[in-house]
Amino acid sequence: MSSPTMAIKDVTVAYHGDITILNKVSIEARAGQVTGIIGPNGAGKSTALKTFFGLLPLRSGSVTLHGRDISRQKPHDRAGEGVAFVPQHRSLFADLSVEDNLVLGCWVFRHDKARVRRRIDAIYDRFPILRDKRNDPVSSMSGGQQRFVEFGRALLLEPSVILLDEPTAMLAPKISREFYTLIRSFADEGMTVILVDQNVRRCAEISDHLYILELGRNKADGSREQFQEGSALRDMVAAWMDYKID
Amino acid sequence: MSGLLLQGIINGLIMGVIYGLIGAGLNIVFGVLRVVNFAHGEFVILGAYFAWFLLQALGIQPFLAMPLTFAVFFGVSYLLYFVLIPPLAKADDPEISSLLLMFGVSISMGALMLLVFDADARSLSFEMEPVFLTFGPVVVPTVRLVALAAALMIVAGLAYFLYRTHTGKALRAIIMNRDAVRIVGIKVEQLSAIAFGLGIGLAGVTGILTALVFPSFSPFVGADYTLIGFVVIVLGGLGHPIGAMLGAILFAVTEQVASIYFNPSIATICGFVLMVATIFVRPTGLLGRQALR
Repeated sequence: MSSPTMAIKDVTVAYHGDITILNKVSIEARAGQVTGIIGPNGAGKSTALKTFFGLLPLRSGSVTLHGRDISRQKPHDRAGEGVAFVPQHRSLFADLSVEDNLVLGCWVFRHDKARVRRRIDAIYDRFPILRDKRNDPVSSMSGGQQRFVEFGRALLLEPSVILLDEPTAMLAPKISREFYTLIRSFADEGMTVILVDQNVRRCAEISDHLYILELGRNKADGSREQFQEGSALRDMVAAWMDYKID
Repeated sequence: MSGLLLQGIINGLIMGVIYGLIGAGLNIVFGVLRVVNFAHGEFVILGAYFAWFLLQALGIQPFLAMPLTFAVFFGVSYLLYFVLIPPLAKADDPEISSLLLMFGVSISMGALMLLVFDADARSLSFEMEPVFLTFGPVVVPTVRLVALAAALMIVAGLAYFLYRTHTGKALRAIIMNRDAVRIVGIKVEQLSAIAFGLGIGLAGVTGILTALVFPSFSPFVGADYTLIGFVVIVLGGLGHPIGAMLGAILFAVTEQVASIYFNPSIATICGFVLMVATIFVRPTGLLGRQALR
């Protein structure tokens, strides 16, 4: 098995000093794979993702990128190293146009104007709807279109790692399917995708490796094959999470 | 339209643009940092004293002193940010703590200016020829018109910065969604320091304009300018720099036109009535949006 692109190891994270959200959690993610993180509400899934991006200080443990310890690195430095984050809640600048939102997405290389233009044009080529609406304020767009802006903004960095927190929450099923296809394509293009999702079935379908968290701890993990129909791990997760997976 | 009414409107426009700059500086600091800068008026007065010192000691004319004043106030405030503001994040309620902190800064600055410059009212002894310009029934002091032109240039520069540059767009973005700017790799602390520097730099420059437009200044009038700043940003919309300009012009024109028909106390009340009425009709201010808060 290849070495992980990004990993958290024995990470403990607490809010307000004493409310422990993650307790010695370890997750590894590899290039060309979707690493899914599932678990019930309060399991610490989103906290784990924020920890990958450096939004929360560690009480113990470490975060590595390409084998290098980046535990003390700030989020802007991680973004500069090609780690992109699409959070669960809208992270756009509502009154700015699509173009301005994308321009700000190029912040870490903003002085290289040619690269900024080239990257934004590449995003427009990938998501033509954004080119059509480039001058519109993002607040005037639908939820799905706003998600495209967020995905496009994340891709501007040409990330090696992309962190996705509930990317299809609040989206219509048809649009959601489109996004799952898109997420899978990121991994197929060689990116390391770390996906937090409440939709266990969909997450299991597109993930190469799944981590299950419970009450801030590692509960289980396994490859996609280990989650196939009739597998013990799948039955265990279904029973434990009280989910009807199919 | 009577000549007096026209005179009131012209005076209101001149005052309004200057009040708008006071509000814009206050609004940038509040919008980006969520810091209620109670000392903003003292920074305005300090700007006036700085220009007075440059004129008296070095013979630098007030309009030439503006870029220097902005640079000095921006630089010092940029550094001051790291001393004053980051520790507030550890407080249970950073906004209330910031209000109390800046109230303390306001009192300290007032006392220091009193110590250094005495209690006597001072003025910038700067005259232009001709002293007055006449436009039909309207008579306007030349220096006021030049101050208006300077203020409009500052407004244009500010608008260009906020709407055309990467850093300006990032400042507007942080007002809209503070958490999201980290995601795109922006150093929030550095940007916040720039906002603090910009807000206080504007206060310093506006201080020179007020000293040119009003007859005198003293260490005691800072609070008046802070109050005006708050009124115009409430009118225009909290955290909205351009809204502050609109609110200021409305406030000043109302006040100046009312002063033609009523005594000055009533005129001041009219300005505040406008603010209260706006809050009732549109609580977020003229250009403010609930979604941004």
